[in-house]
Amino acid sequence: MNHIGCSGWMLIALTLTLASGAATADVVAVVSAKSPIVALSKSQLADIFLGKTSRFPDGSPAVAIDQAEGSAVRDEFYDRVAGKSAAQIKAFWSKIIFTGRGQPPPTVSNTTELRQRIKDNPAAVGYLDRDKVDDSLRVVF
Amino acid sequence: MIVKVLSLATALTVCYAVRAAAVDLYGSTLSLNGFGTVGIVHSNEDKADFTATDFEPNGAGYSRSWSASVDSLVGAQVTANLTPRLSAVLQIIVQQNYDDTYWPHVEWANIKYQVTPDFDVRGGRVVMPTFLESDSRKVGYGYPWVRPPTELYSLNPITTLDGADTTYRLHLGEITNTLQADYGRNLSFKFPAGNRVDANYAWGIFDSAEYGAGLLRLGCLHSTLTLNSGAELFDALRQFGSQGTALAANYQAVDKPVTIVTVGASYDPGQWFAMGEWLRSRSESFLGVTTGWYISGGFRIGAFTPFLTYAQVTERTTSTDGLSESGFPAYLAPTVAALNAGLNELLATRAIQYTSSIGVRWDFMKNFDLKAQLDRMNLGAGSPGTLVNTQPGFQPGSTVYLLSAAVDFVF
Repeated sequence: MNHIGCSGWMLIALTLTLASGAATADVVAVVSAKSPIVALSKSQLADIFLGKTSRFPDGSPAVAIDQAEGSAVRDEFYDRVAGKSAAQIKAFWSKIIFTGRGQPPPTVSNTTELRQRIKDNPAAVGYLDRDKVDDSLRVVF
Repeated sequence: MIVKVLSLATALTVCYAVRAAAVDLYGSTLSLNGFGTVGIVHSNEDKADFTATDFEPNGAGYSRSWSASVDSLVGAQVTANLTPRLSAVLQIIVQQNYDDTYWPHVEWANIKYQVTPDFDVRGGRVVMPTFLESDSRKVGYGYPWVRPPTELYSLNPITTLDGADTTYRLHLGEITNTLQADYGRNLSFKFPAGNRVDANYAWGIFDSAEYGAGLLRLGCLHSTLTLNSGAELFDALRQFGSQGTALAANYQAVDKPVTIVTVGASYDPGQWFAMGEWLRSRSESFLGVTTGWYISGGFRIGAFTPFLTYAQVTERTTSTDGLSESGFPAYLAPTVAALNAGLNELLATRAIQYTSSIGVRWDFMKNFDLKAQLDRMNLGAGSPGTLVNTQPGFQPGSTVYLLSAAVDFVF
Protein backbone atom coordinates (compact mmCIF):
# COMPACT_ATOMS: atom_id res chain seq x y z
CA MET A 1 0.00 0.00 0.00
CA ASN A 2 1.27 3.47 -0.90
CA HIS A 3 1.26 5.39 2.43
CA ILE A 4 3.29 8.31 1.14
CA GLY A 5 0.78 9.73 -1.27
CA CYS A 6 1.12 12.71 -3.58
CA SER A 7 1.59 15.32 -0.86
CA GLY A 8 4.09 13.01 0.80
CA TRP A 9 6.21 12.88 -2.37
CA MET A 10 5.99 16.63 -2.73
CA LEU A 11 7.21 17.01 0.84
CA ILE A 12 10.14 14.68 0.15
CA ALA A 13 10.94 16.54 -3.06
CA LEU A 14 10.80 19.89 -1.25
CA THR A 15 13.03 18.64 1.56
CA LEU A 16 15.55 17.31 -0.94
CA THR A 17 15.56 20.63 -2.81
CA LEU A 18 16.07 22.60 0.39
CA ALA A 19 18.77 20.18 1.54
CA SER A 20 20.71 20.47 -1.73
CA GLY A 21 20.25 24.28 -1.60
CA ALA A 22 21.86 24.41 1.84
CA ALA A 23 24.79 22.20 0.75
CA THR A 24 25.82 24.62 -2.04
CA ALA A 25 25.21 27.84 -0.10
CA ASP A 26 25.34 30.93 -2.23
CA VAL A 27 27.59 33.80 -1.11
CA VAL A 28 26.14 37.25 -1.65
CA ALA A 29 27.48 40.72 -1.00
CA VAL A 30 25.34 42.90 1.23
CA VAL A 31 25.05 46.47 2.44
CA SER A 32 22.81 47.96 5.07
CA ALA A 33 19.14 48.21 4.11
CA LYS A 34 19.58 51.91 4.98
CA SER A 35 22.24 52.35 2.32
CA PRO A 36 21.32 53.94 -1.05
CA ILE A 37 23.48 51.38 -2.89
CA VAL A 38 21.36 49.00 -4.95
CA ALA A 39 23.89 46.95 -6.89
CA LEU A 40 27.64 46.51 -7.22
CA SER A 41 29.56 44.77 -9.97
CA LYS A 42 32.17 42.09 -9.43
CA SER A 43 35.03 44.46 -10.27
CA GLN A 44 33.66 47.21 -8.02
CA LEU A 45 33.48 44.75 -5.12
CA ALA A 46 36.97 43.42 -5.88
CA ASP A 47 38.37 46.98 -5.86
CA ILE A 48 36.73 47.74 -2.51
CA PHE A 49 37.77 44.51 -0.79
CA LEU A 50 41.32 44.67 -2.18
CA GLY A 51 41.76 48.20 -0.94
CA LYS A 52 42.06 49.78 -4.39
CA THR A 53 39.26 52.20 -3.64
CA SER A 54 37.50 53.32 -0.50
CA ARG A 55 34.42 54.68 -2.25
CA PHE A 56 31.31 53.29 -3.83
CA PRO A 57 30.65 54.18 -7.49
CA ASP A 58 28.44 57.07 -6.33
CA GLY A 59 31.38 58.58 -4.41
CA SER A 60 30.16 57.75 -0.92
CA PRO A 61 32.63 56.09 1.46
CA ALA A 62 32.85 52.29 1.42
CA VAL A 63 34.16 50.19 4.30
CA ALA A 64 34.76 46.50 3.56
CA ILE A 65 34.09 43.97 6.30
CA ASP A 66 35.69 40.53 5.95
CA GLN A 67 34.66 37.23 7.43
CA ALA A 68 37.21 35.17 9.37
CA GLU A 69 40.28 33.89 7.53
CA GLY A 70 39.86 30.28 6.59
CA SER A 71 36.05 30.39 6.56
CA ALA A 72 34.36 28.76 3.57
CA VAL A 73 32.20 31.83 2.92
CA ARG A 74 35.28 34.07 2.70
CA ASP A 75 37.14 31.74 0.35
CA GLU A 76 34.11 31.44 -1.90
CA PHE A 77 33.57 35.22 -1.95
CA TYR A 78 37.12 35.98 -3.12
CA ASP A 79 37.01 33.14 -5.63
CA ARG A 80 33.82 34.50 -7.20
CA VAL A 81 34.62 38.19 -7.04
CA ALA A 82 38.38 38.27 -7.65
CA GLY A 83 39.18 34.79 -9.00
CA LYS A 84 41.77 34.39 -6.25
CA SER A 85 42.44 31.71 -3.66
CA ALA A 86 42.95 32.41 0.04
CA ALA A 87 46.73 32.11 -0.41
CA GLN A 88 46.69 34.59 -3.29
CA ILE A 89 44.66 37.08 -1.23
CA LYS A 90 47.13 36.63 1.62
CA ALA A 91 50.07 37.22 -0.72
CA PHE A 92 48.36 40.32 -2.09
CA TRP A 93 47.83 41.80 1.38
CA SER A 94 51.32 40.83 2.51
CA LYS A 95 52.78 43.04 -0.18
CA ILE A 96 50.55 45.92 0.94
CA ILE A 97 51.21 45.48 4.67
CA PHE A 98 54.96 45.09 4.40
CA THR A 99 55.34 48.17 2.24
CA GLY A 100 53.31 50.21 4.73
CA ARG A 101 50.62 50.84 2.13
CA GLY A 102 47.65 49.75 4.18
CA GLN A 103 45.94 46.93 5.96
CA PRO A 104 43.28 44.35 5.08
CA PRO A 105 39.64 44.97 6.01
CA PRO A 106 38.58 44.30 9.60
CA THR A 107 37.20 40.82 10.20
CA VAL A 108 34.19 39.58 12.09
CA SER A 109 33.98 36.15 13.68
CA ASN A 110 30.37 35.27 12.90
CA THR A 111 27.24 36.29 11.02
CA THR A 112 25.70 38.04 14.03
CA GLU A 113 28.70 40.30 14.37
CA LEU A 114 28.59 40.97 10.63
CA ARG A 115 24.94 42.00 10.78
CA GLN A 116 25.68 44.32 13.70
CA ARG A 117 28.58 45.98 11.88
CA ILE A 118 26.61 46.50 8.68
CA LYS A 119 22.99 47.20 9.57
CA ASP A 120 23.52 50.69 11.03
CA ASN A 121 26.43 51.73 8.83
CA PRO A 122 25.51 52.80 5.28
CA ALA A 123 29.18 52.74 4.31
CA ALA A 124 29.74 49.11 5.27
CA VAL A 125 29.75 46.28 2.75
CA GLY A 126 30.19 42.60 3.57
CA TYR A 127 29.29 39.14 2.39
CA LEU A 128 27.55 36.10 3.80
CA ASP A 129 25.48 33.06 2.82
CA ARG A 130 22.32 34.05 0.98
CA ASP A 131 20.10 32.17 3.40
CA LYS A 132 21.46 34.20 6.32
CA VAL A 133 20.38 37.52 4.85
CA ASP A 134 17.67 39.27 6.85
CA ASP A 135 15.67 42.48 6.47
CA SER A 136 18.41 44.68 7.91
CA LEU A 137 20.62 43.91 4.90
CA ARG A 138 20.26 44.34 1.14
CA VAL A 139 21.89 42.02 -1.40
CA VAL A 140 23.94 43.97 -3.94
CA PHE A 141 25.71 41.09 -5.71
CA MET B 1 75.51 26.53 7.99
CA ILE B 2 73.53 24.00 10.07
CA VAL B 3 73.64 26.48 12.98
CA LYS B 4 72.32 29.23 10.76
CA VAL B 5 69.51 27.08 9.41
CA LEU B 6 68.57 26.03 12.95
CA SER B 7 68.67 29.63 14.20
CA LEU B 8 66.44 30.77 11.41
CA ALA B 9 64.11 27.81 11.92
CA THR B 10 63.92 28.77 15.62
CA ALA B 11 63.16 32.36 14.68
CA LEU B 12 60.47 31.02 12.38
CA THR B 13 58.90 28.96 15.16
CA VAL B 14 58.99 31.91 17.57
CA CYS B 15 57.38 34.18 15.01
CA TYR B 16 54.74 31.58 14.27
CA ALA B 17 54.01 31.33 17.98
CA VAL B 18 53.86 35.11 18.38
CA ARG B 19 51.25 35.48 15.62
CA ALA B 20 50.01 38.68 14.10
CA ALA B 21 48.64 40.79 16.90
CA ALA B 22 46.77 44.03 17.24
CA VAL B 23 46.52 46.07 20.40
CA ASP B 24 44.58 49.17 21.26
CA LEU B 25 46.74 51.71 23.01
CA TYR B 26 45.29 55.06 24.08
CA GLY B 27 42.90 55.10 21.15
CA SER B 28 45.42 54.14 18.50
CA THR B 29 45.89 50.62 17.18
CA LEU B 30 49.24 48.86 17.14
CA SER B 31 49.66 45.86 14.84
CA LEU B 32 52.51 43.39 14.78
CA ASN B 33 53.20 41.44 11.61
CA GLY B 34 56.13 39.50 10.32
CA PHE B 35 57.53 37.53 7.44
CA GLY B 36 60.44 35.34 6.65
CA THR B 37 62.12 32.85 4.40
CA VAL B 38 64.21 29.81 5.21
CA GLY B 39 65.97 28.85 2.02
CA ILE B 40 68.89 26.82 0.77
CA VAL B 41 70.55 27.02 -2.60
CA HIS B 42 73.17 24.87 -4.28
CA SER B 43 75.41 25.99 -7.12
CA ASN B 44 77.51 23.61 -9.17
CA GLU B 45 80.10 26.33 -9.85
CA ASP B 46 82.69 25.84 -7.12
CA LYS B 47 85.02 28.67 -8.20
CA ALA B 48 82.59 31.56 -7.66
CA ASP B 49 79.67 32.41 -5.39
CA PHE B 50 76.05 32.89 -6.32
CA THR B 51 74.38 35.58 -4.25
CA ALA B 52 70.88 36.98 -4.46
CA THR B 53 72.00 40.61 -4.03
CA ASP B 54 75.24 42.56 -4.30
CA PHE B 55 75.10 43.13 -0.53
CA GLU B 56 75.87 39.49 0.29
CA PRO B 57 79.58 38.81 0.95
CA ASN B 58 79.40 35.09 0.16
CA GLY B 59 76.94 32.59 -1.18
CA ALA B 60 76.57 29.22 -2.84
CA GLY B 61 79.23 27.59 -4.95
CA TYR B 62 82.72 28.51 -3.79
CA SER B 63 82.11 29.53 -0.13
CA ARG B 64 79.63 26.73 0.47
CA SER B 65 78.21 24.06 -1.75
CA TRP B 66 74.80 24.59 -0.16
CA SER B 67 74.13 28.03 1.32
CA ALA B 68 71.33 29.00 3.67
CA SER B 69 72.39 32.65 3.87
CA VAL B 70 71.54 33.60 0.28
CA ASP B 71 67.75 33.64 0.65
CA SER B 72 67.03 33.29 4.38
CA LEU B 73 65.78 36.22 6.39
CA VAL B 74 63.19 37.20 8.96
CA GLY B 75 61.39 40.51 9.32
CA ALA B 76 59.05 42.04 11.85
CA GLN B 77 56.92 45.12 11.50
CA VAL B 78 54.96 47.31 13.89
CA THR B 79 52.24 49.49 12.38
CA ALA B 80 50.64 52.17 14.52
CA ASN B 81 47.39 53.78 13.41
CA LEU B 82 47.68 56.94 15.47
CA THR B 83 44.71 58.84 14.09
CA PRO B 84 42.41 58.01 11.17
CA ARG B 85 44.89 59.84 8.89
CA LEU B 86 48.22 59.41 10.62
CA SER B 87 50.06 56.11 10.84
CA ALA B 88 53.62 55.00 11.46
CA VAL B 89 55.51 51.93 10.39
CA LEU B 90 58.74 50.34 11.61
CA GLN B 91 60.11 47.25 9.88
CA ILE B 92 63.27 45.49 10.96
CA ILE B 93 64.92 42.68 9.05
CA VAL B 94 67.56 40.17 10.07
CA GLN B 95 69.59 38.72 7.24
CA GLN B 96 73.20 38.38 6.21
CA ASN B 97 74.83 41.82 6.07
CA TYR B 98 77.65 43.02 3.80
CA ASP B 99 80.17 42.23 6.56
CA ASP B 100 78.86 38.71 7.22
CA THR B 101 77.18 39.77 10.45
CA TYR B 102 73.51 39.33 11.24
CA TRP B 103 72.75 42.57 13.04
CA PRO B 104 69.16 43.64 12.39
CA HIS B 105 68.69 46.60 10.10
CA VAL B 106 65.81 49.00 9.66
CA GLU B 107 64.15 48.60 6.28
CA TRP B 108 61.15 50.93 6.74
CA ALA B 109 60.62 53.60 9.39
CA ASN B 110 58.22 56.33 8.43
CA ILE B 111 55.16 58.33 9.29
CA LYS B 112 52.35 58.49 6.79
CA TYR B 113 49.71 61.15 6.47
CA GLN B 114 46.64 60.14 4.48
CA VAL B 115 45.60 63.48 3.00
CA THR B 116 42.65 61.89 1.18
CA PRO B 117 41.87 58.20 0.73
CA ASP B 118 43.74 58.41 -2.61
CA PHE B 119 46.65 60.67 -1.65
CA ASP B 120 49.26 60.09 1.00
CA VAL B 121 52.64 61.46 1.99
CA ARG B 122 55.32 59.62 3.97
CA GLY B 123 58.43 60.91 5.65
CA GLY B 124 61.31 58.86 7.01
CA ARG B 125 62.83 55.70 5.67
CA VAL B 126 61.14 54.31 2.61
CA VAL B 127 62.20 51.88 -0.11
CA MET B 128 62.58 52.94 -3.72
CA PRO B 129 60.13 50.83 -5.75
CA THR B 130 62.42 50.51 -8.75
CA PHE B 131 60.85 47.29 -10.04
CA LEU B 132 57.44 45.66 -9.62
CA GLU B 133 58.49 43.68 -6.55
CA SER B 134 61.26 45.97 -5.28
CA ASP B 135 59.60 47.36 -2.22
CA SER B 136 58.41 43.91 -1.11
CA ARG B 137 61.36 41.95 -2.53
CA LYS B 138 62.11 40.47 0.90
CA VAL B 139 58.60 39.10 1.37
CA GLY B 140 58.95 35.76 -0.39
CA TYR B 141 55.32 34.92 0.30
CA GLY B 142 54.34 37.70 -2.10
CA TYR B 143 55.72 36.20 -5.31
CA PRO B 144 55.87 32.76 -6.91
CA TRP B 145 59.65 32.40 -7.44
CA VAL B 146 62.28 31.60 -4.82
CA ARG B 147 63.74 35.06 -5.47
CA PRO B 148 62.98 37.89 -7.89
CA PRO B 149 65.16 37.51 -11.03
CA THR B 150 68.66 38.57 -9.96
CA GLU B 151 69.43 39.93 -13.43
CA LEU B 152 67.34 42.96 -12.52
CA TYR B 153 66.89 42.87 -8.78
CA SER B 154 70.44 42.22 -7.63
CA LEU B 155 72.17 44.90 -9.68
CA ASN B 156 70.40 47.93 -8.28
CA PRO B 157 72.24 49.42 -5.30
CA ILE B 158 69.62 52.05 -4.49
CA THR B 159 67.15 50.47 -2.14
CA THR B 160 66.34 52.20 1.15
CA LEU B 161 65.98 55.98 1.11
CA ASP B 162 65.92 58.42 3.98
CA GLY B 163 63.56 61.05 2.69
CA ALA B 164 59.97 61.05 1.61
CA ASP B 165 57.53 59.59 -0.82
CA THR B 166 54.07 60.43 -1.98
CA THR B 167 51.40 58.36 -3.71
CA TYR B 168 48.45 59.66 -5.68
CA ARG B 169 45.75 57.34 -6.94
CA LEU B 170 43.33 58.29 -9.69
CA HIS B 171 40.25 56.34 -10.72
CA LEU B 172 39.39 56.75 -14.39
CA GLY B 173 36.42 54.54 -15.08
CA GLU B 174 37.65 50.99 -14.65
CA ILE B 175 41.32 52.04 -14.60
CA THR B 176 43.16 52.71 -11.36
CA ASN B 177 46.23 54.84 -11.93
CA THR B 178 48.80 55.13 -9.15
CA LEU B 179 51.56 57.72 -9.33
CA GLN B 180 54.38 57.55 -6.80
CA ALA B 181 57.34 59.85 -6.34
CA ASP B 182 60.28 59.13 -4.01
CA TYR B 183 63.13 61.34 -2.86
CA GLY B 184 66.05 60.54 -0.61
CA ARG B 185 69.17 62.37 0.53
CA ASN B 186 72.63 61.37 1.72
CA LEU B 187 72.41 57.78 0.61
CA SER B 188 75.21 55.47 1.60
CA PHE B 189 75.36 51.76 0.92
CA LYS B 190 78.14 49.47 2.07
CA PHE B 191 79.09 46.43 0.07
CA PRO B 192 81.48 43.54 0.73
CA ALA B 193 85.25 43.92 0.33
CA GLY B 194 85.26 47.56 1.38
CA ASN B 195 83.17 48.77 -1.54
CA ARG B 196 80.63 51.49 -1.04
CA VAL B 197 78.19 53.53 -3.04
CA ASP B 198 77.29 57.03 -1.94
CA ALA B 199 74.79 59.41 -3.43
CA ASN B 200 73.89 62.97 -2.50
CA TYR B 201 70.34 62.32 -3.52
CA ALA B 202 68.11 59.97 -5.47
CA TRP B 203 64.65 60.49 -6.83
CA GLY B 204 62.24 58.23 -8.63
CA ILE B 205 58.86 58.55 -10.30
CA PHE B 206 56.69 55.54 -10.96
CA ASP B 207 53.31 55.30 -12.60
CA SER B 208 51.18 52.19 -12.78
CA ALA B 209 47.84 51.70 -14.47
CA GLU B 210 45.65 48.76 -13.54
CA TYR B 211 42.73 47.59 -15.62
CA GLY B 212 41.07 44.42 -14.44
CA ALA B 213 43.76 41.77 -14.11
CA GLY B 214 46.29 43.79 -16.08
CA LEU B 215 48.94 46.21 -14.89
CA LEU B 216 51.41 48.40 -16.76
CA ARG B 217 54.11 50.33 -14.96
CA LEU B 218 56.68 52.89 -16.02
CA GLY B 219 59.45 54.15 -13.80
CA CYS B 220 62.32 56.56 -13.91
CA LEU B 221 65.02 56.87 -11.30
CA HIS B 222 67.86 59.37 -11.14
CA SER B 223 70.78 59.77 -8.81
CA THR B 224 74.38 60.92 -8.72
CA LEU B 225 76.55 58.06 -7.56
CA THR B 226 80.04 57.89 -6.16
CA LEU B 227 81.64 54.45 -6.14
CA ASN B 228 84.93 53.93 -4.40
CA SER B 229 85.78 50.92 -6.56
CA GLY B 230 88.80 51.46 -8.77
CA ALA B 231 89.93 54.42 -6.63
CA GLU B 232 93.59 53.35 -6.69
CA LEU B 233 93.56 52.89 -10.45
CA PHE B 234 92.06 56.32 -11.06
CA ASP B 235 94.35 58.02 -8.54
CA ALA B 236 97.31 56.51 -10.40
CA LEU B 237 95.91 57.60 -13.76
CA ARG B 238 95.66 61.18 -12.55
CA GLN B 239 99.45 61.19 -12.10
CA PHE B 240 99.80 60.94 -15.86
CA GLY B 241 99.18 64.50 -16.97
CA SER B 242 96.17 65.78 -18.75
CA GLN B 243 95.61 62.49 -20.59
CA GLY B 244 95.36 60.60 -17.32
CA THR B 245 93.17 63.23 -15.70
CA ALA B 246 90.82 63.16 -18.65
CA LEU B 247 90.56 59.37 -18.54
CA ALA B 248 89.86 59.42 -14.81
CA ALA B 249 87.27 62.16 -15.19
CA ASN B 250 85.56 60.20 -17.95
CA TYR B 251 85.45 56.79 -16.33
CA GLN B 252 85.60 57.18 -12.57
CA ALA B 253 82.23 57.09 -10.86
CA VAL B 254 82.46 60.18 -8.69
CA ASP B 255 79.26 62.20 -8.49
CA LYS B 256 78.25 60.76 -11.82
CA PRO B 257 74.60 60.96 -12.85
CA VAL B 258 72.85 57.65 -13.27
CA THR B 259 69.42 57.30 -14.86
CA ILE B 260 67.39 54.11 -14.79
CA VAL B 261 64.23 53.61 -16.80
CA THR B 262 61.99 50.63 -16.09
CA VAL B 263 58.89 49.19 -17.70
CA GLY B 264 56.84 46.47 -16.07
CA ALA B 265 53.69 44.63 -17.10
CA SER B 266 51.69 41.85 -15.53
CA TYR B 267 48.45 40.03 -16.15
CA ASP B 268 47.05 37.92 -13.34
CA PRO B 269 43.45 36.78 -13.71
CA GLY B 270 43.92 34.22 -10.90
CA GLN B 271 44.19 30.87 -12.67
CA TRP B 272 47.42 31.88 -14.40
CA PHE B 273 49.79 34.81 -14.57
CA ALA B 274 52.30 36.37 -16.92
CA MET B 275 54.64 39.22 -16.11
CA GLY B 276 57.75 40.89 -17.37
CA GLU B 277 60.01 43.82 -16.73
CA TRP B 278 62.67 45.72 -18.63
CA LEU B 279 65.33 48.08 -17.44
CA ARG B 280 67.89 50.38 -18.98
CA SER B 281 70.47 52.08 -16.85
CA ARG B 282 72.84 54.72 -18.15
CA SER B 283 75.80 56.37 -16.45
CA GLU B 284 78.63 58.54 -17.74
CA SER B 285 81.25 56.45 -16.02
CA PHE B 286 82.75 52.98 -16.23
CA LEU B 287 79.31 51.71 -15.24
CA GLY B 288 78.15 52.59 -18.73
CA VAL B 289 74.91 51.22 -20.06
CA THR B 290 73.02 48.22 -18.72
CA THR B 291 69.98 46.59 -20.25
CA GLY B 292 68.05 43.80 -18.63
CA TRP B 293 64.66 42.13 -18.82
CA TYR B 294 62.73 39.06 -17.81
CA ILE B 295 59.44 37.35 -18.56
CA SER B 296 57.74 34.89 -16.32
CA GLY B 297 54.53 32.91 -16.40
CA GLY B 298 52.79 30.21 -14.50
CA PHE B 299 49.43 28.75 -13.69
CA ARG B 300 47.66 27.51 -10.60
CA ILE B 301 46.41 23.97 -10.08
CA GLY B 302 44.96 23.62 -6.63
CA ALA B 303 47.63 24.71 -4.16
CA PHE B 304 50.46 24.44 -6.72
CA THR B 305 51.83 27.18 -8.94
CA PRO B 306 54.39 25.90 -11.44
CA PHE B 307 56.24 28.68 -13.26
CA LEU B 308 58.87 29.43 -15.87
CA THR B 309 61.11 32.47 -16.08
CA TYR B 310 63.64 33.72 -18.58
CA ALA B 311 65.87 36.62 -17.57
CA GLN B 312 68.87 38.35 -19.05
CA VAL B 313 71.11 41.27 -18.29
CA THR B 314 73.78 42.90 -20.41
CA GLU B 315 76.12 45.42 -18.92
CA ARG B 316 77.67 46.84 -22.04
CA THR B 317 81.40 46.25 -22.35
CA THR B 318 83.60 48.97 -23.75
CA SER B 319 87.31 49.46 -24.18
CA THR B 320 89.66 52.35 -24.42
CA ASP B 321 93.08 53.05 -25.92
CA GLY B 322 93.92 54.56 -22.57
CA LEU B 323 97.14 56.46 -22.08
CA SER B 324 99.31 56.67 -25.19
CA GLU B 325 102.74 55.26 -24.39
CA SER B 326 104.43 57.74 -26.72
CA GLY B 327 103.37 60.56 -24.46
CA PHE B 328 105.56 59.36 -21.58
CA PRO B 329 109.23 58.47 -20.96
CA ALA B 330 110.27 54.92 -21.80
CA TYR B 331 110.86 53.90 -18.16
CA LEU B 332 107.16 54.53 -17.50
CA ALA B 333 106.02 52.27 -20.35
CA PRO B 334 105.34 49.21 -18.12
CA THR B 335 103.30 51.36 -15.71
CA VAL B 336 101.33 52.89 -18.56
CA ALA B 337 100.66 49.41 -19.95
CA ALA B 338 99.55 48.15 -16.54
CA LEU B 339 97.21 51.09 -16.00
CA ASN B 340 95.70 50.67 -19.46
CA ALA B 341 95.22 46.96 -18.80
CA GLY B 342 93.62 47.69 -15.44
CA LEU B 343 91.25 50.25 -16.94
CA ASN B 344 90.27 47.95 -19.79
CA GLU B 345 89.69 45.08 -17.39
CA LEU B 346 87.29 47.30 -15.44
CA LEU B 347 85.45 48.16 -18.65
CA ALA B 348 85.37 44.58 -19.94
CA THR B 349 84.44 42.69 -16.77
CA ARG B 350 80.74 43.35 -16.88
CA ALA B 351 77.75 41.24 -15.94
CA ILE B 352 76.27 39.48 -18.94
CA GLN B 353 74.00 36.61 -18.09
CA TYR B 354 71.01 34.67 -19.40
CA THR B 355 69.02 32.53 -17.00
CA SER B 356 66.18 30.09 -17.59
CA SER B 357 64.29 28.95 -14.53
CA ILE B 358 61.63 26.40 -13.78
CA GLY B 359 60.02 25.94 -10.41
CA VAL B 360 56.93 25.38 -8.38
CA ARG B 361 55.32 27.05 -5.40
CA TRP B 362 53.15 24.96 -3.06
CA ASP B 363 50.82 26.73 -0.65
CA PHE B 364 50.75 23.75 1.67
CA MET B 365 49.20 25.44 4.68
CA LYS B 366 47.82 28.78 5.73
CA ASN B 367 50.50 31.50 5.89
CA PHE B 368 53.22 29.19 4.55
CA ASP B 369 54.53 28.22 1.17
CA LEU B 370 57.22 25.86 -0.08
CA LYS B 371 59.13 26.54 -3.28
CA ALA B 372 61.58 24.59 -5.39
CA GLN B 373 63.42 26.10 -8.32
CA LEU B 374 66.02 25.05 -10.86
CA ASP B 375 67.99 27.80 -12.62
CA ARG B 376 70.30 27.43 -15.58
CA MET B 377 72.57 30.47 -15.74
CA ASN B 378 74.43 31.02 -19.02
CA LEU B 379 77.21 33.48 -18.34
CA GLY B 380 78.02 35.72 -21.29
CA ALA B 381 81.30 35.12 -23.12
CA GLY B 382 84.14 36.47 -20.99
CA SER B 383 81.75 37.50 -18.22
CA PRO B 384 81.37 36.30 -14.63
CA GLY B 385 77.67 37.12 -14.89
CA THR B 386 76.32 38.13 -11.50
CA LEU B 387 78.65 35.71 -9.67
CA VAL B 388 81.05 37.09 -7.07
CA ASN B 389 84.21 35.93 -5.25
CA THR B 390 85.63 34.48 -8.47
CA GLN B 391 88.62 32.22 -7.73
CA PRO B 392 91.68 31.29 -9.78
CA GLY B 393 90.59 28.73 -12.33
CA PHE B 394 87.11 30.22 -12.71
CA GLN B 395 85.94 30.09 -16.32
CA PRO B 396 83.91 33.12 -17.37
CA GLY B 397 81.19 32.42 -19.88
CA SER B 398 80.34 29.01 -18.41
CA THR B 399 76.94 27.53 -17.57
CA VAL B 400 75.98 27.28 -13.92
CA TYR B 401 73.10 25.32 -12.43
CA LEU B 402 71.35 26.36 -9.25
CA LEU B 403 68.97 24.28 -7.19
CA SER B 404 66.96 26.20 -4.61
CA ALA B 405 64.36 25.32 -2.01
CA ALA B 406 62.64 27.76 0.30
CA VAL B 407 59.86 27.99 2.85
CA ASP B 408 58.22 31.41 3.18
CA PHE B 409 55.86 32.51 5.90
CA VAL B 410 53.89 35.55 6.92
CA PHE B 411 51.96 36.33 10.07
